[in-house]
Amino acid sequence: MSSQTALQQPKVSNKKGGLTDFIKQIDLQFMVIPGIIWLIIFAYIPMYGVLMAFQEFKLGDFPGMSQWVGFKQFEYLFSDPNFGRVLRNTIVISLLKLIINFPAPIIFALLLNELRGKYFKQSVQTISYLPHFISWVVAATLMFDFLSVDNGAVNSLLMSLGLIDRPIHFFGEGRYFWPIAVLTDLWKELGWGTIIYLAAISSIDPQLYEAADMDGAGRFQKMWHITVAGIRPTIILLLIFTVGNLLNANFDQIMTLTGQMTNSLLIDYADVIDTYVYRVGLQQARYSYAAAAGLFKSVINIALLLGANKLAARTENALF
Amino acid sequence: MRSKSIGDKIFDIINVMIMLIVVIVTLYPFLNALAISLNDAGDTVRGGITIYPRVFTLRNYELIFQNPLVYNAYFITIARTVIGTVLSLLLTAMLAYGLAHRNLKGRNFYTILCLITMFFNGGLMPTYFLIRSLGLMNNFWVYIIPSLISVWNMMLMRTYFQGIPEALEESARIDGANYFTVFFRIILPISTPIVATIALFIAVGQWNSWFDAFIYVTKQELKPMQSVLLSIISEARFAESIAQSAAGAGVTLGDVGRTAQVNVRSITMATMVVTIIPIVIVYPFLQRYFIKGIMIGSLKG
Repeated sequence: MSSQTALQQPKVSNKKGGLTDFIKQIDLQFMVIPGIIWLIIFAYIPMYGVLMAFQEFKLGDFPGMSQWVGFKQFEYLFSDPNFGRVLRNTIVISLLKLIINFPAPIIFALLLNELRGKYFKQSVQTISYLPHFISWVVAATLMFDFLSVDNGAVNSLLMSLGLIDRPIHFFGEGRYFWPIAVLTDLWKELGWGTIIYLAAISSIDPQLYEAADMDGAGRFQKMWHITVAGIRPTIILLLIFTVGNLLNANFDQIMTLTGQMTNSLLIDYADVIDTYVYRVGLQQARYSYAAAAGLFKSVINIALLLGANKLAARTENALF
Repeated sequence: MRSKSIGDKIFDIINVMIMLIVVIVTLYPFLNALAISLNDAGDTVRGGITIYPRVFTLRNYELIFQNPLVYNAYFITIARTVIGTVLSLLLTAMLAYGLAHRNLKGRNFYTILCLITMFFNGGLMPTYFLIRSLGLMNNFWVYIIPSLISVWNMMLMRTYFQGIPEALEESARIDGANYFTVFFRIILPISTPIVATIALFIAVGQWNSWFDAFIYVTKQELKPMQSVLLSIISEARFAESIAQSAAGAGVTLGDVGRTAQVNVRSITMATMVVTIIPIVIVYPFLQRYFIKGIMIGSLKG
């Protein structure tokens, strides 16, 4: 990215005068050094500390400095029946979100773009962005009420339409959790997700639409061949990011919707890798084991990111 | 304009209907919560409150504001937002300004150091024990220090600083100003759009943050508003205690069970409204700057 443009610049500095150059610009260095020290402490020390996944960490140890045990924690992890369930939940929730919540903002952006009234369009945008700005604690508060078994709006609507006889206890049965996770995420991020696409749409050359009009293209043909084609690079870029985050199944959302994993009715369907790390690590004090589960997730995520990027490279839309 | 076909018109109508559904589904939970918070608690239990209060009252808000816990939590939230935003902005902007200079010694090394953290991180366990060894457990600074720099924000600022004409800085440098003077006197004042955008990113993140308080802080007096709301929705007893301690002798014995039940929902909604009200007030402003930030980011990417 930008660092590449820097590399392309001719190198002015010569290595020999390095130290004197450094001292000459010591004030500039002092602007950077606090940030770099912060990064080393809060980003790189935990990265080193992840070695505790190959060790037997005990309270009082510094992460990464305990006794080595090799792949023992991973052997436990892969033979733990709970982990199979955790992996299933993570993959199902993430894939459902990928299939439904990834295309939804694209479609919504296309529909917004087709609206004729300028003020109506702006109002819809402003309102649909709102849930993005609240925390998942607030969103969960609203969703508990919206989906409440006791006069909740969704239950009242379904009852009055005669679709159900009794209110559904949405947070009382595990089988409802996957759709709830997908739909509440959609509720919160649908509007906000359109922004990048709308920006990409606005940079499409209007002459393309005029030319298509001349050729007698219909509205859907223009949407598909001009608008969608125009935002294709954006879609691919965001897809790479989404795939690279596939195993991060929105920790905040799942924690708050399950009452910080205290709702035992939901745990069979709601426990994902991140919440599992929290549960076994901080609640059951199996520190190294939890770190191993976390490391497993990071490794898979990076592999997915690189894989997605490689696929995208074929369409000349690679991230790096 | 060409005349519209029937298919076009049908599409427009369906499109507007879809938009209205999105608007209603988005707004309804907020309006319903507001209505419940402004409705008499005893009346709410009868059900059927939609988007306006049936028996208007400010009693629910009086109840939560009689509780010292709420004031304290609100103070913590404001403190972490203000202090966190100022310090984080300063450190992020300085790092970005330094890295924007092509003549910075070690620039490539620093940049790579930053970029790596966008793709790798240690995860929850090592971070947790780092915070513990630094003595940040049950410490106000745990809200500030571990989240001082976001590399993403830093990159947005760096891109902006790189777009500033170099002549501006050079003339000041020739006059003998050092980089700190240039940064504070020249660069920051002309960079208000990016500074405001990043400040809002950080401030909203601080205001909404809850997980740090959840795992690193057990002292009630250090908990922010998000934690109070979290306790209320997770433990019904917490909401009752807030309502009852405030209601005191005003509740007759026979009513206690019922009133407590009713109050939970009203108290929850009033607390929720109080938690988000500052965000909603500055929302139009917030929205504009957030979009601007995203645009700068997407131009770069």
